Amino acid sequence: MFLITIASLYLNIAISIYGVIAKPNLVKKFIALTIAQDSINTVAILMGYRVWREAILQPPILLSWSPSPKDLQDFMNRAVDPLPQALVLTAIVIGLAVNIFLVSTILHLYRHFKTVDMDEISKLKRGAIVEETA
Amino acid sequence: MKLRDVLFIALIIFVTFILLIPTLLGSIGATPPGDLRNIAKLYLYLTYNIFNKSFWTASPEAVTAIVWDYRGLDTLYETIVFYTAIIAALMLYSEILGQRDVVGGIGLSFIVKRGFSIALLAIIAVGFSTVLHGMLTPGGGFQGGAIVAVAPVIALIVFSRKLFDYSKLSYRLLVALRSLALTGIVLVPLIPLALTLGNGFIFQNQVKTLARFSYPSTIIDVPMGGSLLLLNLFEGIAVFTAFMLAFIVLLYSEDLSKKPLEGEDIGY
Repeated sequence: MFLITIASLYLNIAISIYGVIAKPNLVKKFIALTIAQDSINTVAILMGYRVWREAILQPPILLSWSPSPKDLQDFMNRAVDPLPQALVLTAIVIGLAVNIFLVSTILHLYRHFKTVDMDEISKLKRGAIVEETA
Repeated sequence: MKLRDVLFIALIIFVTFILLIPTLLGSIGATPPGDLRNIAKLYLYLTYNIFNKSFWTASPEAVTAIVWDYRGLDTLYETIVFYTAIIAALMLYSEILGQRDVVGGIGLSFIVKRGFSIALLAIIAVGFSTVLHGMLTPGGGFQGGAIVAVAPVIALIVFSRKLFDYSKLSYRLLVALRSLALTGIVLVPLIPLALTLGNGFIFQNQVKTLARFSYPSTIIDVPMGGSLLLLNLFEGIAVFTAFMLAFIVLLYSEDLSKKPLEGEDIGY
């Protein structure tokens, strides 16, 4: 089961990178990029995952505010790895901010060139440069 | 489909499998992991260890403890990336920032407006509760700020653009609020250093062997996480104002948004 999950996540990343490279439409490029971000975050979370055993019945949290050493030991034995979660958490927010920047850039390009097609934009730019130098 | 595309897809699949093989052979550890890495165990064991307070963070929530204490400097630099990305997005529209939009609008129907007014309060309450309980439950500045930031986006659609143009929460106030919150994020890690006259550490939260400074670890009997609460609060405000500013700028009407392009001869 995990083999399928890991393989599909890798495939997801590959397809989204294909989308970023091959699609001329900037909006499609952007969507592919967000899919890549989320897939990579999921891979990171998966690395900190822990197999759920039948013996573990308590939730993976600290159950008392004045824990005994045994509580702390139990918490350590139940909880998943917090480090990838902390890294992914910040990565998501930074990703969101970068996405906002990308969206506003794409919007700017659309308002300027009236298209979001990269091929069209480079054609228009070429035309403008030829016009200017002539 | 051209031959070039087929070759390209074949190459992508090939590279995926090349990357997949070491993963399946265990290059990032056993997948799925049955046990934790030692560093994760250390974080979980020390974060709320009342018997060994030299490395504790006074917060039972290990993720927040890592984000703002154990790896606090990391998060500070990530906040700088976040700050820069939003500033860059705002710079593209620097000519029209803070202006009133040329089109008015009346928004959606009365029922939607009243319904949303109730939901608006709930969204803000959930967001701030996520921010303020960051050191106790999953949540914190980033998540809470992102939740609260949903409110202005929906408000913009429901009440129309006029709400922002005539609101007291103006562009200038939002920028000032954001700068204050970011100053707070910079000052909180420096306060231990200043108050102990250089004998503390940057990002010191609780008392250490050589540095006697400590942010309050509890309020009455609730764990407060010391500086974690303050940093979460400032980060929440910074994230909320940043997203609100970005949405206000992105959702200007076409007529006004074209203004920054007018003055440019070539534009690229």
